[in-house]
Amino acid sequence: MLAADFEVRRRSFTVKLDLQVAAAEQVALLGRSGAGKSTALDAIAGLLPLDWGRIALDGNVLSTARPKSIVPPGRRGVGLLRQNPGLFPHLSVLDNIRYPPGTTIASAVAAAERMGLSSLLNARPRALSGGEAQRAALARALQVRARLVCLDEPFTSLDRPLARQLLEMVRGELQTSGTAALLVTHHLDEAQAFADRLIVLEGGTVLQAGDPRDVVLRPVAPAVAELVGYRGWLRCGLRRMAIHPELARPLVEPVPESALAGVVVGGRPQGARFELEVEAGGGWDGRFHCVVDEPAAPGTAVQFGDAGVRIFDDDRGPIDG
Amino acid sequence: MIESRAPASGPAPSTGATTLLALAGAAVVWVLLLGPLITLAAHLSVGSVVRALGQPGALQPLVVSVLASLVALAVILLLGTPLAYLMARDRLPFTRVWEVGVILPLLTPPLVVGLLLVFMVGPATPIGTALSHLNLSATNTFLALVIAEIYESVPYYVIGAAAAFATVDPELEQTAALLGDGRWRAWRRVTFPLAAPGLASALAVTWARAMGAFGAVLIIAYHPVGLPLQIWTTLQETGLTTALPYALVLLVVALPLPIAAYLWSARARRRL
Repeated sequence: MLAADFEVRRRSFTVKLDLQVAAAEQVALLGRSGAGKSTALDAIAGLLPLDWGRIALDGNVLSTARPKSIVPPGRRGVGLLRQNPGLFPHLSVLDNIRYPPGTTIASAVAAAERMGLSSLLNARPRALSGGEAQRAALARALQVRARLVCLDEPFTSLDRPLARQLLEMVRGELQTSGTAALLVTHHLDEAQAFADRLIVLEGGTVLQAGDPRDVVLRPVAPAVAELVGYRGWLRCGLRRMAIHPELARPLVEPVPESALAGVVVGGRPQGARFELEVEAGGGWDGRFHCVVDEPAAPGTAVQFGDAGVRIFDDDRGPIDG
Repeated sequence: MIESRAPASGPAPSTGATTLLALAGAAVVWVLLLGPLITLAAHLSVGSVVRALGQPGALQPLVVSVLASLVALAVILLLGTPLAYLMARDRLPFTRVWEVGVILPLLTPPLVVGLLLVFMVGPATPIGTALSHLNLSATNTFLALVIAEIYESVPYYVIGAAAAFATVDPELEQTAALLGDGRWRAWRRVTFPLAAPGLASALAVTWARAMGAFGAVLIIAYHPVGLPLQIWTTLQETGLTTALPYALVLLVVALPLPIAAYLWSARARRRL
């Protein structure tokens, strides 16, 4: 459905992206601040011209670099919801929701109802809480009947449980209407809760794409590993090892050749479980954490299998399977 | 201010006393500012106003001034609004140059503006010649009066309108575009309503300036006689008492629009 292969040059970096989104597919773009995620969405939404390549939706070309052409934002069939709800301060909640041309009052009222805004239809945006404003913006964005909705960290400024709840609400709405979506986020849990497919961006380019769980289990680059929760970077010459505290499990039965061995040096409770601090052995230099069900006394020797352990060769990529 | 000037060794004045002093100061300023109006009211009787304005043709300057100011205002709105918007959005090349151009008529004494206008649009100039082919003249005509009023008042509108547009978040215009509006439609539905209170204030000041334009008018538009010129000539020929009724008329006509616009814009701002 969406076929985008383009380059957009910004002052400090260049975004170079080759991205396909299938009809009704939900994709998350994960990356740190400044990784080019928002720039990519702005280009897809038609707010930025391309420097190279083209963007097409359902076979209709939306943006091309040569000749420089761009279908205006509102006529692309692409919606965009940003972190700033961008409600029009001079209009009531209802008038905001029915702002997109062609929206009927009935559909606006129904959308407001689904978002739990029925009692606030006549309120001005400044009277709304952050969550209410974002829900109103969401109801409004969905009135556009876009075939692809871009979500640019829409709930980042809200507290996490509320953000999660709204994200699930959006996912439901999009699935009901069969709309494809691209979510930009720097929270792995949001990306996993939302998307069928995960794309990791760094420095404007795709580092890894695939099933969200696969990406977590097998990150291909240190930057990806960091984003999906690997911590405890150990060094051994030019090699680096990353450990995922929740995936790395001490082996119950000691084996002659383990991926990693070490000695427990401390620990503290984490939720209902325990987080151990382990001093690495076997030539690896540094300490790391792992989460276990039962506490272990300092001085206990522990061994780890391959799960949650990744070795990278001098930043060039993993050297294990 | 008062507190900060109090000697460090002395006791700090109580908040109540400070507030009282500030109120007294504000009241003095207010009375001084309104003083001329109060004086005007004190020196006029209903009889003298009726006598002065009851003569045949006495209201002609009023008609001239209102018509010329309306035309000037329309031209300023039409040409000044896009300019102010582009200035606020930084979409013009060499923004500073444009800004200086807009402010210059404000910095130039009105009499000098009048003199320069004679050299620009007078009968012997290329523009004057071109106008004469259209049977128009830009000296001592209604057109000349409109031109002089525009030069004296346009900076007030452009500067005020640019400030009003600058308060509108460009991201809201982008949002409107994302929701399906074209550029003009987004301007009409989002930018304009949000800038309207500021635009109204700018327009009100501009109207008052256009109605009261005198310096440039005196040089290039001695005829037809508008209210400011009528006040001046009456003052010269027959003295203060006969000029005062015209001053009252000018105030009565020039002030209500700015005051109404100010009140509306203050109310609209509170609602946003």
